[in-house]
Amino acid sequence: MTSIAVSGVSAGPGRSRREKFIAQGGIVLTFLVIAAVGTYLLEPRFINRLNILNLLRNFSFLVLPALAQMVVMTTGGFDLSVGAMVAISSVLTATVMLYLSSVAPDMPIALSLAALAACLLVGGLVGFVNGFLVAVLKLSPFMVTLATASMITGTTLYYTQGIPIYGVIQQFSDGLGRGQVGGIPIVVMIAVAVTVGLVVLQRQIAFGRHLYAVGSDLRSARLSGVAIVRTTIAAYVIASCLAATTGYLMTARLGSGQGTIGATLALETIAAAVIGGVSLRGGIGRAELVAVAALFLTVTNNAMNLLKVDSRFQTLMLGIILIAALWIERSLSRRK
Amino acid sequence: MAEFALAARRSFDMTKLRNWTLPAAVIAVFIGFSVVEPRVFSQVNIFNIVTQTSYLAIFAMAQTVVIVARGFDLSLGFTVSLVSVISAMVLVAAGEPSLAVAAGILAGLAVAAVIGATNGVLIAVVGINPLVTTLGVANIVLSLASTVSDGFPVSGFPVQFSEFFAQGSVLGLPVPVVVAGLLFAALSVLMNWTRFGRSLYIIGANPKTAVAAGIRSGPVVAAAYCLCGTLIGFGALMLTARTGSGEPNLGGNLTLESIAAAVVGGVKLSGGEGGVGAALVGALFVTVLSNGMNLTQVDGYLQQICLGAIIIIALVTSRGHSRH
Amino acid sequence: MLVGQNLSKRFEGAIALEAVDFDLRSGEVHALLGENGAGKSTLINLLVGTFAPSTGSIEIQGRSHASMSPSLASELGVAAVFQEFSLPPDLTVLESLFLGREKRRGFLLDRRGMRQEAEQLLKRLAFDIDLDQQVSHLTRAQKQMVEIAKALRTSPRVLILDEPTASLTDGEAEKLFDAIAQLKRAGVGIVYVSHRMSEIRNLSDRVTVLRGGRKIGTVNTAEVSDEGLIEMMVGRPMGQLFPEISYAPGKVAVQVRGLSTVDGAVREASLVAKAGEVVGLAGLVGCGRSELCRAIFGLTSIKDGTVELFGEAVARPHPHSMLERGLCYFPPDRGAEGLALSRPVRENVTMSSLDLRSLKTGPFLDVLRERRVVREPLQELKLRPLSPESPVSSFSGGNQQKAMLARGLIKDYEVYVFDEPTVGIDVGAKSDVYQLIKRLVERGACVILSTSELPELINLSSRIYVMHQSSVVAELHGDEKSEAAVLSHYFGKPAEERRLQ
Repeated sequence: MTSIAVSGVSAGPGRSRREKFIAQGGIVLTFLVIAAVGTYLLEPRFINRLNILNLLRNFSFLVLPALAQMVVMTTGGFDLSVGAMVAISSVLTATVMLYLSSVAPDMPIALSLAALAACLLVGGLVGFVNGFLVAVLKLSPFMVTLATASMITGTTLYYTQGIPIYGVIQQFSDGLGRGQVGGIPIVVMIAVAVTVGLVVLQRQIAFGRHLYAVGSDLRSARLSGVAIVRTTIAAYVIASCLAATTGYLMTARLGSGQGTIGATLALETIAAAVIGGVSLRGGIGRAELVAVAALFLTVTNNAMNLLKVDSRFQTLMLGIILIAALWIERSLSRRK
Repeated sequence: MAEFALAARRSFDMTKLRNWTLPAAVIAVFIGFSVVEPRVFSQVNIFNIVTQTSYLAIFAMAQTVVIVARGFDLSLGFTVSLVSVISAMVLVAAGEPSLAVAAGILAGLAVAAVIGATNGVLIAVVGINPLVTTLGVANIVLSLASTVSDGFPVSGFPVQFSEFFAQGSVLGLPVPVVVAGLLFAALSVLMNWTRFGRSLYIIGANPKTAVAAGIRSGPVVAAAYCLCGTLIGFGALMLTARTGSGEPNLGGNLTLESIAAAVVGGVKLSGGEGGVGAALVGALFVTVLSNGMNLTQVDGYLQQICLGAIIIIALVTSRGHSRH
Repeated sequence: MLVGQNLSKRFEGAIALEAVDFDLRSGEVHALLGENGAGKSTLINLLVGTFAPSTGSIEIQGRSHASMSPSLASELGVAAVFQEFSLPPDLTVLESLFLGREKRRGFLLDRRGMRQEAEQLLKRLAFDIDLDQQVSHLTRAQKQMVEIAKALRTSPRVLILDEPTASLTDGEAEKLFDAIAQLKRAGVGIVYVSHRMSEIRNLSDRVTVLRGGRKIGTVNTAEVSDEGLIEMMVGRPMGQLFPEISYAPGKVAVQVRGLSTVDGAVREASLVAKAGEVVGLAGLVGCGRSELCRAIFGLTSIKDGTVELFGEAVARPHPHSMLERGLCYFPPDRGAEGLALSRPVRENVTMSSLDLRSLKTGPFLDVLRERRVVREPLQELKLRPLSPESPVSSFSGGNQQKAMLARGLIKDYEVYVFDEPTVGIDVGAKSDVYQLIKRLVERGACVILSTSELPELINLSSRIYVMHQSSVVAELHGDEKSEAAVLSHYFGKPAEERRLQ
């Protein structure tokens, strides 16, 4: 195995990672600003306080699963089960509250925590299964998460038969769903906190670096002593738990457990990640940029709603934006 | 050196063994369900199973064409919907029955081929990942389907269409079976006996090797996706005939089912292995399973769970054998 | 200090290592010598814990270990510098240096501490590398230096170096040798894998020679001659390995003028290759010779310059069109780019020739005819066992290489470009490949041979071009072709004398 010629490695420095980060960040921010300003010009109601609050809440519900997707994509995989996780968590939250409120009627905080615990438990379990199948049995992440998504959705729909579950306690939906601190919805604060948390994870914690290493080159990571299996499983667990949390928070807003939400989330989160600079091959991706990308997508969505654009056209736009973003990424990487 | 001869012979036996486990499983599942629910083991039901399999088989074969080249098509389900809607509209509008049928078929196939070609160009020429490309295209197609149809079924096309393609028979065999059979024969020849088919297998086994060997992967893979699309078109037309109207939701779970059928049948997602025969047997297995579950009154959603589990089992077991 | 007893390793039907005993003393440099495929990499992988031995055990500092793992190995003070780097392309130098063994302060990374330590380490080694540079942007030599620094960072008791100077310049190799001398004095045991005779002679105290997965012997370096070592390594006197080739240079087959590639790996390279001769391409790993071959074939984009085939300029080479014009290229990494491992040998042999009439019946590919057509080339190359229906993955390295080379015999190509044709294959297979080259040249073909094996280069080529840092720096004919002369050009300028200790 000696002396194998290596192709195409020249002495040129190219752009450093910092420069690339700034460049990518600049692009996404520009898109965001254009979208926001453009929307305002077309429809002044955009700036309306209620609309902004709504927008920020929607942003929170997109950024959490988008960050989940980012974590998995950084290791070189995909998680197509995020949407299904959101749905089942919503149903689970409502169900837990429904049953426990008859047992312990006047303990809203305990009930809420119990529901959260249930969601995280299921999330952890699903994430573990996904991660195990991918890391230990070395199956394709795409196929595995597609299959688990199907199983989860089947379970959810079987249980609910498509009908919402009522039983969410008032304090929960008032507190988390509508609650605000200093004018900012609690949900948004949670989303920002999670984003910051992930930024710290990626930059300041060894595990974060290991995620990049695993996605960048598995063999190098193994030779360096990175615990590949543990890291990969942890990535999927984190992703599923974040998705579960999203479902939990959405239930607060919706006021009931909905088994049909999240159907398009797989595509939306991948879109947000890709626009935010996450590489499809793994090893590259920053939480801050994904958050900005998620905000951009939310603003675009909001704009289309305000401008009364048909929802079917919105789906079309999402597909086009995603492909456009990828096309651009391909041509840029080609030129290098 | 005797080591290698031994190893080579061993890998051969494994393949032969594996080739028989799935048909055996089909029979086992069939018998299992018959025991629980005697209606399964009736001539009518077997006839049903075979006819049902034809539809899924066409879609599974479509997926196989691109899976062999290391791709897959997540836009299959929604393509079916769009083809259904558009062909139905053309059928309704065209007037004179035989003309309408021809026009409808052409329109449907054309739409399907265009979608396939779009996938193909984006994946093979521009170089975008198949997962994201077909997912994005799926979305676009979905919105087109619901826009064009306003969400409602398109009805009122000439009954002759359904009469022949869904209920008719040729030489005693139902038309769907004949169509699937013809497509199977044509694809077998294409995949195993032509330069195009051989190139697909090489590209799937190792894309870089294919390029270094002078195979023009770009056009070949793009053509594969276009072919996949056209095959989907055939399947969609058959389904539309059966339903009697153009349905914007016809695709439903088909994307997952078609990939499941192919994977269960032994087509490897990593590319370069498996053929349309495998897709056929896989489709049979999935159909026998869902037929049995339907007749034993298993909830539709539970069936979906089952499907997911079957896929995972198929992936795990096929991985074990691919070590050579 | 380190003793490996009765180590053997089996991989799915192929025996990589059998009954090998190995021992390392503290403060010694113990060279590991052997051909490609002899088992050197397997042995060091066992020592470092990448995988477990099928039999045998490893004893370090008196404690026996039946199973090692990379983390256990590093705990015990065993570090290795491999040829396949452990540096993920998307991380920075600083991040890669500490990957898997990051310094922490509580939960968080101690980034300042790591930076300081890295700066000190690089200064001590006199390696000049930017810590914030992304690994994918480093040259191969720079990556080698980072890899060495990474191994040394852990202050190992046992250091394993696998062909460390493969891509280093004279000056950089010097710094490495200084570091090795330092480590020796500190009592570190060093395993030095190489097949550069001069380095082994100047650096090592003892040499262990492996051949075909077995240990041939362990000797004190001072007590054995170069020829003796080669004979142990190769199993037969050197003379028999390379055939006599009668060259008859005819018309110009390939003419390259001022070729530069888009990615900068080749800069204004020019060469001439004629029918009936073997043109050797020499140079350090990463010098651009492989990229030059790929550019000629059309696998890499050309920015400037021309490629002419039999006097006809080819505007934009593409593998497909070059093959049609009669130029056949064999990639260096057969697993990654030369073969479809899961497909049968027969398909691998015919994949470049799918348009051939003799393979078809009417418009259809005929497997039966295919089988007949591939039989002869495979027999000529002595494929063992001769079963074209088996998947390529079931064959040994040497036979896999033959399966790939057979592709070039289906049609009569006029130009053959070999890129590292004998990497990782056994001596018997090498000999067969050399015989093939002889036959091709004597049939009138033009052969371009890019290789890092100096004996191969010198014994087979009629003319040699040497490349250094992307440009062609020298052309040697006739008597000029000697190992020393070629090596002197590897570093861009004739070296005075290589001081190695």
